[in-house]
Amino acid sequence: MDMQVPAGGADVKPEIALWHLGKNCRAVIIGFDGAMPLEYSSRLSEMGFHIGESVTCLLRPGFGCPRVYRVSNTVYSLDEDLAAHIRVAADA
Amino acid sequence: MPDRIMLIGSPNCGKTLLFNRLTGLRHKVANFPGITVELASGPMSGLSGTTLVDYPGSYSLQPLSRDESVAVDEFKRGLRDPEVSHVICVVDVTRMEKSLYLTLQVIRLARRSGKRVIVAANMIDVLDAHGIELDFEGLSRELDAPVIPISARTGIGIERLLAQLREAPPADGSAVDSVGDIEISADLLVQQAAHGLARRYGPRSDVLVRSQHRLDAFFLHTWFGGLAFFAIMYLLFQSIFTGAAPAMGAVESGIAALADWVVPHLPAGVAADFTSDALFSGVGAFLVFVPQIFVLTLVVGLLEDSGYMARAALICHRPLRVFGLTGKSFIPMLSGVACAIPGVYAARAIDSPRKRRLTYMAIPLMPCSARLPVYALLIAAFIPATTAMSGLVGLQGLAMFLVYFLGLMLGLIVAGLAARRDRDPAPDVPFVLEMPPYRMPALVPLLRQSLHRCRHFVAKAGGVILGVTVVVWVLGYFPNGGADLQSSWLAAIGRTIEPIFTPLGLDWRYGVAILTSFLAREVFVGTLGTIFGIEFAEENMVPLVERIHASGLEAASGFALLAFFSMALMCVSTLVILARESGSWKLPLKMFFAYGAAGYLGAIAIYQLLSLDIF
Repeated sequence: MDMQVPAGGADVKPEIALWHLGKNCRAVIIGFDGAMPLEYSSRLSEMGFHIGESVTCLLRPGFGCPRVYRVSNTVYSLDEDLAAHIRVAADA
Repeated sequence: MPDRIMLIGSPNCGKTLLFNRLTGLRHKVANFPGITVELASGPMSGLSGTTLVDYPGSYSLQPLSRDESVAVDEFKRGLRDPEVSHVICVVDVTRMEKSLYLTLQVIRLARRSGKRVIVAANMIDVLDAHGIELDFEGLSRELDAPVIPISARTGIGIERLLAQLREAPPADGSAVDSVGDIEISADLLVQQAAHGLARRYGPRSDVLVRSQHRLDAFFLHTWFGGLAFFAIMYLLFQSIFTGAAPAMGAVESGIAALADWVVPHLPAGVAADFTSDALFSGVGAFLVFVPQIFVLTLVVGLLEDSGYMARAALICHRPLRVFGLTGKSFIPMLSGVACAIPGVYAARAIDSPRKRRLTYMAIPLMPCSARLPVYALLIAAFIPATTAMSGLVGLQGLAMFLVYFLGLMLGLIVAGLAARRDRDPAPDVPFVLEMPPYRMPALVPLLRQSLHRCRHFVAKAGGVILGVTVVVWVLGYFPNGGADLQSSWLAAIGRTIEPIFTPLGLDWRYGVAILTSFLAREVFVGTLGTIFGIEFAEENMVPLVERIHASGLEAASGFALLAFFSMALMCVSTLVILARESGSWKLPLKMFFAYGAAGYLGAIAIYQLLSLDIF
């Protein structure tokens, strides 16, 4: 299920996987689930996907293609194997 | 005056462009992460007696893969080198947080080793273009290191950077655990420090990402993105014929005119025959195709420099996964279209060892520039030079596109079959790729790079072709002084191996050309040129295509040859590099025999099929 929370947020902050974040929606990274190996979560943190950072889903190309996310001023594409293990909550 | 300076930075921060500017060298640069895979060094043009060492880009000094470990270990070893006194850390000012994380780690480690760090704040021209100003002095105070705003692309700030290197004394070597007023004791703190600095000193405007997003919305659109991808790939291969055609015609006419002028001045006999048959017909036949290699390299370079390659990798990720590959395999595979060797090197950017191995297997099946002269010759011989759809589609260009598409599909099928045999239960590395900003390609460096590629191609293949041509000419000319090719030593050797090629409808002349092409594929063209040069010695210089027609080669055999050259791995250099990169000779030797057998059997099947009466 996709979370459609516009930037500016709501009081309730449902926790979802980054993969399900809607296009043009912003959220805050709250952690990585246990299925993600430590070295990948460390590398993602180095790239800017660290806890407390704001992340925006810029594009969700069809056919299961990797999705495009922005953290800080950098844009990355992540596939489902990775984005499904990043937990985010609506950015208040 | 420092003797050695280390250059480090995060992937795609413009580090190698700065290296080229500071050394005057022309190492490959492109607008996507992971281009620099090996250490490079060169003398600095602005600081005599000083060597600059370029390290592969890294997100941090904590390596994730074996290749990153090698790069980080090399960097740490460099810091222990007493000849090194300075480290230039390149920061992409448009994406500051990502760069500052590595910078803080480098500053800390370098100071402990007694090396002075200078931060080169690159891409200042992009900020200038958007009217964005940053407080570099404030950042310099926080980092306690000089921060010099530069543009490696335009040259802004390079003199200031050199002046800083001349003036700044080496660090005193005392242990330092702080960077300015920021205490650093753990990775998390480094991240927080980088985040805080980027917030305070990085560009706040969204304008940089917004312009990129507008283009991404089109190029990564579910439907338009796929259509644009196919259109771009089609134009790439169409341009090899249409774009290069005038230059090819000019080279061909030039060689013919030179031969017509030179040969009559030589004394009749061996010298004149050798010059005409071996040099002009043999080597000249190969040189005609150099403009196509120029166009191919230029167009691939334009795509790389524009930032489109990373988008193509994203678009291809899902389809490539079906074959066990990753979107990151696309860049090495497309590089393999120019030459397999840089393609094999580019595969280092693939994090997953399993997918990297599968990519190695696919790359030698990509239609490389060494195959191009063979394809171009056979297509020109058997596909009419006409157009369809009101001149929009050239049939020869379309045929070239199909041949390239066939090579790509072969690579994918082989990788897919190998992936299904893979029993490794370990989870694979997931896909994450930084999307570089779109940039207007820098045409002059790309033209230089394409010319360099052509020079390298001619120098590398030219020597082999000349050597083979001389041997083939001597064997074909004697013992009867070129009077009858059919009774020459070459014909005797050729007839011995002819039974191998008879199932493909090829006579001994083509068999000899195939045999010599195992040294390098493009030798095929030169060898045919020499053989026909001897056989049709009484005629004036005519294009090789016409001589192939005159030789009576059937179209079915021409297509069988295309199939053979599409599959067989006939490049010694590629085999050596594959052995080096994969860590053993097992994989390249398996590929050599398997692809050779598949090429031969495939060619027989095509010849037999096309020779049926129904065609």
